[in-house]
Amino acid sequence: MTGTIFDIKRFAIHDGPGIRTSVFIKGCALRCLWCQNPEGQSLKPVLWYFPNRCIQCAECIAVCPEDSLSSAGDKSHFINIDRNTCTTCGKCAEACPTTALSIIGEKVTTEKVVAELLKDRLFYEESGGGITLTGGDPLFQPEFSLSILKEIKKYKIHTVLETGMYASAETIKKFIPYTDLFLLDLKLFDDDLHLKYTGVSNVIIKQNFKILAAEKQNILVRVPLIPGYTVNAENLKKIKRYVSEIRSDIPIELLNFNPLARDKYKILGVPYDLAENKKLFSAEEMESFKQLIKD
Amino acid sequence: MSNDRIEDKLLHLLPAIDEFRLTDRNSAFKSRVINAKRFFSVEQALLITESYKENENKPKIIRRALGLANSLRNISISIEKDELITGNRSMGVRDGIVFPEAGISWIKKEIDSLPSRDQDSFNVRKKDRKLFFDEIVPYWEGKTLEDFIFDGFGDRISTISKVVKINQKDHAQGHIIPDVAAWLSEGPQGIKRRAEEAISGTEDIKKLNFLKSVLIALNGSIFFIKRYSDLAFKKAGESTDREQKKNYNGIGRICKNLSEKPAETFREALQSVWFLFIILHLESNASSFSPGRADQYLFPYFKKDIMSGELLPEDALELIESLFINFNKIVYMRNYSSAKYFAGFPIGFNITIGGQTGEGKDAVNLLTYLFLKAQEHLGLPQPNLTARLHKNSADLYIDACSKVIGLGSGMPQIVNDESIIPSLERIGISKRDAFDYALVGCVELSTQGNNLGWSDAAMFNLLKVLELTLNNGVCLITGDKIGLGTGTLTDYKTFDELLKAYKSQLNYFIDKMITAVEFVDRAHAEILPSPFLSSVVNNCIRKGLDVTAGGAFYNLSGIQAIQVANIADSLAVLKQLVFDEKRISKKQFLDALRNNWRDDNQLRQMVINHIPKYGNDVEWVDNLGAGWVEYFSEQLEKYKNCRGGIYHMGLYTVSAHIPMGENAGASPDGRVSGSPLADGGMSAMYGRDRLGPTAVLKSISRINSLNASNGALLNMKFLPSVFKDREERQKFNSFLKTFVKLKIHHIQFNVVSKKTLLEARKDPEKYRNLTIRVAGYTAYFTELASDLQQEIIKRTAHEV
Repeated sequence: MTGTIFDIKRFAIHDGPGIRTSVFIKGCALRCLWCQNPEGQSLKPVLWYFPNRCIQCAECIAVCPEDSLSSAGDKSHFINIDRNTCTTCGKCAEACPTTALSIIGEKVTTEKVVAELLKDRLFYEESGGGITLTGGDPLFQPEFSLSILKEIKKYKIHTVLETGMYASAETIKKFIPYTDLFLLDLKLFDDDLHLKYTGVSNVIIKQNFKILAAEKQNILVRVPLIPGYTVNAENLKKIKRYVSEIRSDIPIELLNFNPLARDKYKILGVPYDLAENKKLFSAEEMESFKQLIKD
Repeated sequence: MSNDRIEDKLLHLLPAIDEFRLTDRNSAFKSRVINAKRFFSVEQALLITESYKENENKPKIIRRALGLANSLRNISISIEKDELITGNRSMGVRDGIVFPEAGISWIKKEIDSLPSRDQDSFNVRKKDRKLFFDEIVPYWEGKTLEDFIFDGFGDRISTISKVVKINQKDHAQGHIIPDVAAWLSEGPQGIKRRAEEAISGTEDIKKLNFLKSVLIALNGSIFFIKRYSDLAFKKAGESTDREQKKNYNGIGRICKNLSEKPAETFREALQSVWFLFIILHLESNASSFSPGRADQYLFPYFKKDIMSGELLPEDALELIESLFINFNKIVYMRNYSSAKYFAGFPIGFNITIGGQTGEGKDAVNLLTYLFLKAQEHLGLPQPNLTARLHKNSADLYIDACSKVIGLGSGMPQIVNDESIIPSLERIGISKRDAFDYALVGCVELSTQGNNLGWSDAAMFNLLKVLELTLNNGVCLITGDKIGLGTGTLTDYKTFDELLKAYKSQLNYFIDKMITAVEFVDRAHAEILPSPFLSSVVNNCIRKGLDVTAGGAFYNLSGIQAIQVANIADSLAVLKQLVFDEKRISKKQFLDALRNNWRDDNQLRQMVINHIPKYGNDVEWVDNLGAGWVEYFSEQLEKYKNCRGGIYHMGLYTVSAHIPMGENAGASPDGRVSGSPLADGGMSAMYGRDRLGPTAVLKSISRINSLNASNGALLNMKFLPSVFKDREERQKFNSFLKTFVKLKIHHIQFNVVSKKTLLEARKDPEKYRNLTIRVAGYTAYFTELASDLQQEIIKRTAHEV
């Protein structure tokens, strides 16, 4: 079977226990304003342009069949992309000597992904690690994601599914037999705010959370700390209370804000709400947030 | 592990050591040593010259011994109040010693640039400059090792110098682990008695001269140690401070004992070790006399004193740290070219800790941890601390190593019993000796106390030979024909034809190199026999033969193959782009190389970015590198060295990837002419390993480590956050354990500093492998916008 991924990262050390390889499955139902992987939102491939790698050879302009690429000669940003006409056929990326132009989003077979994942088996075994499906959201291509997990489980490798749980109950249940640990994102407790900032209601998310909890799955809840959105005492406390009422043994991890994502928006030419001066929270701030969700 | 075993190794005392701190005394000693200004020194040169003049007609080996003895009897010595362990080979700390027997021509040429040169400079006093020209030069001109080699073989060495760097041409070769255990247990007196017994059993004049020279050297050594005793008592008498008086008297008694008998206490043993290395440097002025497995041979002394209550563990640590600081007193003055190949004074006091006993049991003891603690406290460049791991190494020990690595001194470097021991056994080293291996200098492998490894005989530039293969033997930089006329790239119809020609060129240069190395080896036996060193290397006394002439039990010669990454990458480009896909014509490609990519940046970028590279776990590319390294190793092993041993291969450079890169023209891997080769030894070309550290290890594991019995080196960079706490370190620790399973010889870690990140901003292409790990997100540092890079830099600096 085939599906679309936008990255595979080896030596992932923050996506579950041990040393892991993470597969970034493309596509997501949510449109969080702060999304740190905006290139993974749409299922469609995306054309990236890194101006600092460009050597201004204009080879890409010459090969583009749609005339979507042009240049005004500005050396600091040599190529302009007309995203309305670009079909992301990838000819420019092939011709680009420096990979300043790259297509993000590759159609690959399950076999190819699994072969890549098996390369670091020794490291998984030694570290108690394994593989992690993330994204985007792996549930956006459920059959493909499931096919990877099923195949990987044949090798008795530890699996993690990181998801925002926006899928049908039937879909999410299919993952239970092949997932050793669920990393579940809960961002905003209030449904109106959730709808406003992520584009979808969290009713279905909460239902799925209950299902996984009831099925006695191994769960780690992760809350991204987004200044101005998710970081306030009320939201964090409500999430904490909600989770412990359902199952008191489920731990919650707070993920520090990642200011690095800002760059990707620039590259993609998409406006970004958190562009201005938002920093990592200090160790002291992180501690105070942790206090909020203490039992 | 049963209880009594823990106590055997004193590991029940381990929990206390976390409380130990660097003492004020050692802190003062440390800053005095590292802040000392370096000076050019002729004192010993004058003493040697005086002795040579007085003994014109004596045999060479006797004159060498007398020159050493004159130095031992008369060189100025000092003891400072902050020293628990004392001694040096010169009055000044970190002096650059003129050593006339080895070479002065280079000094004559370079003396006036010594203070200002950009690498490893030395101040020169006017008085010393004058003495050098008035007293040293007139006597020694034409008589040194350097002159002997230059006159006899200089032309032949220079014809291959673009391909091969022949080492040890103007200095003694060092690179040896003496039998420290015997030096401690017998003392110079005990060794002297063995030499006297040997004398009474022989009538062979050569043997007699050798053994007499050993006695001269040992008598001088005993006198030298006694001088320290006398000076210490004198200083005690002059001192008014009670604490200082006590320390001086202590030193006086220790040195007196050591001048009369073997070491008995732990402190005596440490002082005795330092005297041994001082005397070796006085005799040879060479790089890389290494103490070897000090945590093993010192342990009986340590345990005895701890058990009897004479010594507390924290006092033992203070003594160890004092010894460690002493190791930084000696640097070695090289000529400018050599200083670039071996930059930053890698004097090579390599101490190897941990590993296994001769019976294959875990050898870690409380001293092992105290040595790590000393490195944690001091973070000095010497000793070069090496930790042996094996498949059953304890998690606690691995984590103790990781913790110190995370502090960023680059130490301990990690070596792997699981690959090194089999590689040593393969070349005929006994199982017992192989299990007892330690490192010499930087990463060279050796047995202890019985092996002249000559591990740094030469460095061979594999990439330069490929250049000559592509260009009919003509150097792309000078236009001189230095290789065989096997044709140019355009003449080779298939990739295999190219490889066949590469083989002939390799064989041609290997043969020329061996002849040159052999000449140099013989020259050392002729000009620089080393009786004192011979007295602490088995079986020189028994054989009646100097170590330079083959007196050691093992006699090896090590040649470094440089660099596997550039060869793999270059051949992969030629194979895929030029021969298989034919995306570019051979002529066009050759022209691009000849023009140093001048008008072909597009092609160069295509080569760099679109063809898979070594270090990314791509089997066919890695195998190209691994295959040629194996071929090189097989060719070397066809030769025997003049001491009756074999040639074998190493995969390391110190800083030689820079000057060896200067010798190489534009290469098919996209490298521009004159720029550095891949660093380390087995590392990928900088910035081209883009899949993270696990992929790098997988690539390297395709090289057959059994062939690299002379040593191998891998550098890797990590951000400080990886070492943040025990939980984070667990992942790093399992990375190390997997490294052990993958049977790779060596790995050392640079913890990325603010400085590195600043460099990465300036030169992104070099640093494209620097990854920033964030949950569910990854980016390469060099792809970040500059303000974000700034953010990371701030964060990193903070974490350091």
